[in-house]
Amino acid sequence: MTEERRAAGRVKSPPRFLHEIVAWLRQHPEFGAFAGLLLVFTGFSLTATRFLTGDSLAGILTVAAELGIVSAGITFLMISGEFDLSVGSVLGVAAMIFALAARAGWPLFLGWILALFASASIGFLNGLITVRAGIPSFITTLGTMMFWRGILLAVTGGFPVSYFPAITPTMFLILNGRFAGQFRASALWFLGIILLLNIILVRTRYGNAVYATGGNRDAARVLGVATDQVKIINFVISALLAGLAGCIQFARFLSVDPMRGLGLELEAIAAAVIGGTLLTGGAGNLIGTLFGVLLVGMVRSGLVQAGAPAYWYQAFVGVIVVVAVVVNTSLRRWALK
Amino acid sequence: MNNQDSLVRMVNISKNFGTVQALKNVDFDVGYQEVMGLVGDNGAGKSTLIKILTGVFPPDTGEIYFEGKKVEIRSPKEARDLGIETVYQDLALIPLMSISRNFFLGREPVVRIGPFRFMDKRKMDATVRQVLSEIGINVRSPEEPVAILSGGERQSVAIGRALHFGAKLLILDEPTSALSVRETHKVLDFILEAKNRGLSIIFITHNIYHVYSVADRFTILEHGRKVATFKKTEVSAEDIIEIIRSGYKEGKCQR
Repeated sequence: MTEERRAAGRVKSPPRFLHEIVAWLRQHPEFGAFAGLLLVFTGFSLTATRFLTGDSLAGILTVAAELGIVSAGITFLMISGEFDLSVGSVLGVAAMIFALAARAGWPLFLGWILALFASASIGFLNGLITVRAGIPSFITTLGTMMFWRGILLAVTGGFPVSYFPAITPTMFLILNGRFAGQFRASALWFLGIILLLNIILVRTRYGNAVYATGGNRDAARVLGVATDQVKIINFVISALLAGLAGCIQFARFLSVDPMRGLGLELEAIAAAVIGGTLLTGGAGNLIGTLFGVLLVGMVRSGLVQAGAPAYWYQAFVGVIVVVAVVVNTSLRRWALK
Repeated sequence: MNNQDSLVRMVNISKNFGTVQALKNVDFDVGYQEVMGLVGDNGAGKSTLIKILTGVFPPDTGEIYFEGKKVEIRSPKEARDLGIETVYQDLALIPLMSISRNFFLGREPVVRIGPFRFMDKRKMDATVRQVLSEIGINVRSPEEPVAILSGGERQSVAIGRALHFGAKLLILDEPTSALSVRETHKVLDFILEAKNRGLSIIFITHNIYHVYSVADRFTILEHGRKVATFKKTEVSAEDIIEIIRSGYKEGKCQR
């Protein structure tokens, strides 16, 4: 082969580093959300003067953490191929149980456990109905979303329930106390849960079963994965984390009204899909959700700090969701070519 | 033939779905290190027979012997534990998952750290890298998703997985139906390779020419009944096609 020919051959095949980038993208669906996060961060840093302060960051984390705990559970469930629209209602139910137990003079820890147990039971019911009846979880949880919201309204008569102790109890400090200035414990819960779930997803056999169940349920089943069991467990995780978020939020506001958590389910799903989780299941991870949630939280705080009316928040998040999914989808298609 | 001579032997298998009789009194056996072609038109009962053998559902009547012992196979996992591996046409691998996660799905090696068990990713990747190079598939990393493999490569990975986990019986459901000519030949070669390594193989297909080139015997099903079992020396590919097309007539294809 002449030198000339060899040079020509080299030009034809794409450069090696491009292959490496494409391969890396294939394995990192969270890249899009990370890029978006950087973009929004830079944008607000330039336009909002007080954006780059510790207090501001703490504010973002406080908003992001409560949404993020819910979104983490949803992500896990979505990867296994199911939805949970009832998380907003579950969050409300859990907060209400926690509040009522506190008012009734129960030890807070006991009320907390009861709230979590109730949440997990609702999740188990969601899973059982979906799996046994073989119906879409979109429908199951649409139903339970309305059912539990209705129960909340009926039981409270539409009035908020508050619990203002003289001294902040330890339980509230553990759930959502302040540290290092304006930072709150919820941020630690959030990061811990993201980390734990991601390790389970990426490093354990159960995680493998979760991906397989969402990737192709029938294939997973013939390969010996107990797909129904995986789904039910993930419904429980999703509801349990929504319940935890409800208790954490109550520890911040010390009050809960029956509309608490309304619309949260869509925000949580939005954060998950921004982070690269596939709506159809089988792909995604918690790191993507971390970026997605931070992005949503940053937009919420940043817009206010940049002087925009709070109403713009929803419009902005709407645009981000669509853009993020378009970008994620094209990246995925391109990388798999 | 007694039970000792065959790896698997299904006796008098019947299965009804509601009023539809999917299988009626079917006898079926596969010898050691034998490639058995299971053929028949759509609705002949091939899939039903295989699903019974792989524990997807139980037969209404009939018995299954594996390595001479009577067995009851109640789930795909139990079939796998016996050494029966199935490679389904569309269900062999999960496209969005990595090659190495697919390869070990349901049987991931673990390392213990305290009370926790983690997947041994290093071992998984090393094994898969070696298997892929044996098969002759060239990918950058075992962590690549299966989606980037071609149809033939996917079949090969699934067959390689069965070999790796010490399968005794390999069931291939239409392994060549979606493949190019070149890829088909690769997969057929790989089937013979598996046989040489001591496996028995059930090859289900519509393409008689594909199965004819590798099978030792053929079983023909028609409307849930077994028509006949032939050795390769007894029939030509054209004979088999004729039987499937126009039904089996006694005397036309004498044993």
